[in-house]
Amino acid sequence: MSWAQAILLARGLSRGWGGICSTALTGAPFSQVTPQAPRGLHCSTAAHQPDSPLVPRPPEPQRGLVKALAPHEELFRQAPDGVRDKASFVQAVQNFTQYNVHKRGHVDFIYLALRKMREYGVERDLAIYNLLLDIFPKEVFRPRNIFHSIFLHYPRQQECGIAVLEQMENHGVMPNKETEFLLTQIFGRKSYPMLKFVRMKLWFTRFKNINPFPVPRDLPQDPVDLARLALRHMEPDLSARVTVYQMPLSKDSTDATDPTEPHIIGIQSPDQQAALAHHDPARPIFIEGPFSLWLRDKCVYYHILRADLLPPEERLDLAYGRSSWDDYEFNIDEVEEGPVFAICMAGAHDQATLAKWIQGLQETNPTLARIPVVFRLSASSGELLASSSGLEEPPLTPPEGREEEENNQQRQQQSQS
Amino acid sequence: MALVHKLLNGTYILRKCPKPGVASCPFLSTRFADYCSSSLEKPVAAPGKAPSQRKTEGNLEGHHQREVALDITSPEDKPEVSFDKAIKEEIKDHFRRLKDDIVNHWIGPEGRPLHEVLMEQAKVVWQFRGKEDLDKWIVTSDKTIGGRSEVFLKMGRNNQSALLYGTLSSEAPQDGESGRSGYCAMISKIPTGPFERKRFYDWSQFNTLYLRVRGDGRPWMVNIREDTDIIQRKDQMYSYFMFTRGGPYWQEVKIPFSKFFFSNRGRIRDAQYKLLLDKISSIGFTLADKVDGPFFLEIDFIGVFTDPAHTEEFAYENSPELNPRLFK
Repeated sequence: MSWAQAILLARGLSRGWGGICSTALTGAPFSQVTPQAPRGLHCSTAAHQPDSPLVPRPPEPQRGLVKALAPHEELFRQAPDGVRDKASFVQAVQNFTQYNVHKRGHVDFIYLALRKMREYGVERDLAIYNLLLDIFPKEVFRPRNIFHSIFLHYPRQQECGIAVLEQMENHGVMPNKETEFLLTQIFGRKSYPMLKFVRMKLWFTRFKNINPFPVPRDLPQDPVDLARLALRHMEPDLSARVTVYQMPLSKDSTDATDPTEPHIIGIQSPDQQAALAHHDPARPIFIEGPFSLWLRDKCVYYHILRADLLPPEERLDLAYGRSSWDDYEFNIDEVEEGPVFAICMAGAHDQATLAKWIQGLQETNPTLARIPVVFRLSASSGELLASSSGLEEPPLTPPEGREEEENNQQRQQQSQS
Repeated sequence: MALVHKLLNGTYILRKCPKPGVASCPFLSTRFADYCSSSLEKPVAAPGKAPSQRKTEGNLEGHHQREVALDITSPEDKPEVSFDKAIKEEIKDHFRRLKDDIVNHWIGPEGRPLHEVLMEQAKVVWQFRGKEDLDKWIVTSDKTIGGRSEVFLKMGRNNQSALLYGTLSSEAPQDGESGRSGYCAMISKIPTGPFERKRFYDWSQFNTLYLRVRGDGRPWMVNIREDTDIIQRKDQMYSYFMFTRGGPYWQEVKIPFSKFFFSNRGRIRDAQYKLLLDKISSIGFTLADKVDGPFFLEIDFIGVFTDPAHTEEFAYENSPELNPRLFK
């Protein structure tokens, strides 16, 4: 081979070797060799550091600062005061088409745009996806004869089209007629992106309404409204009443979740009220929590007021008469737990806040004043800690296992004072 | 696993994901499916070895990449076990079970008289009342492919339920080929007869799956696998979604078997078939809803029953557009 090729080959090999040596020296696993694998002979040498490759390179974190930009990434770079929203995203896309009439590198650009969508907050916007599909040149990738259709025509572009549809699918965006038209124009009706579109149309419509407890996609930002929604979501009894015991401090200069006055919202149904009225004052009731509830992607915490199970002798045993032919009962004793009297959601998870809840509850349940209330709060601060990766029992306190902090029992004097 | 990745990225088998709000990531399940089939064999093998290194206080997590470290027992952990004695006991145990099997065959299916089996309309298949019930399950997470999710299984309050809890992390592993990650699963072990022969469940008289659970509002996916004697069947499964309400009340989830859709290698197939109930090998619960954070699911019991009001045979019809061959 010629001397130029030999030099390039040597340079490439030494870079590769340098990578291996440096990773061996730093002790990192060999999978990290991949980013430093010798580039092809024809690649430019400008991207890699030209200094002696056998000197150990600085470790990973520093190298991250010198990341090579993806092609066309400069289109998405903005002035520091520029806000990243739909308009700037559209602007960046239009810049690409403007400066690049022949749309060179459109596949890379579309992949980059798909990655950047989340930053700009447009990942659920169908118009943006149609705009991205619009970047493809039309009519070029359609198969024209039998040979085109046998062999996958323009495979990279078809993959890119599928990637756009796949991201749509991941974020729950239903494509529309415009998408269909674009796909037909770009890839033809027998292409893989079109096939994926047909499948999306079919399965999305099939599974659109299968959630028996639907949660709206746009959750309210206000914590009080969110808590109201969450409490209604949890309580199956439709006649339950939501009561706001304490509103958070209005935002003048502090944020809504001020630790001194968090919001407290509770829910109680008439049946629960009646049950609490009949509760024997000699037996304590417990405040348990905090338990987590997920609404789409928001996690909220709630506490419950419940009593322990009655001992077996005092329990009513309702035995339904059953005919010998029909027996749909399972041959197992279901888990029985004591009755729940009320649920609440508060901004803070400490005893003072929950005590305020109890005081608020006493207005509608006067018998509560005579019943001792015991706090059984879980040891963590309400945030379920990330567990350490290890074989032992994780430090994460699962919501059901808690240490009982038997605290002073609240008596009527406190409420009356 | 790399092969699966290649197949998913390199080929153009398009995939269909069900309702996106639920976000099941079924394509990842093939990986844990692959893993799962290998790990299912592991606890069963080596009868003489002490099982102490595999389980710690009922925490079951399928270790794959950490197996290498785990198999080395610490010196103080090694119990005094005589290999020959253990082998002999194991063989005797197997023969005893074989004898029971043969005797039970004369009494009726699974050792119960025939009239009892035929008249049965509700059956509890898995219950969680003791530690030995947890042994019938395996938990996996995307740690096997290098992700960060963790999942643990333990007995719940008062030993009356099982609690599956952990943290989901959708950070993709930096192995150059996975684009997404973040799943946790709990799969039941395949029931075995004497001499570790695979057995299966026969639910042909029932038509609905019943679960009594208490979740935290996250959507789960229920997967049923059929008998895996045929190699291709290892990747096939029937799935449906279980939406938990969250809250302090126990929730009864009834899923008719006609609603389960068919998927192969983690992707929904165009040609849909009914779930046949006579050779069920395992059931599993998967959480992969793309939301990072802790989760928990408390399960009381899992049963099957016949719902007389449910007359649907299969919920999904095949479309001539997607599958013209079926309609010729």
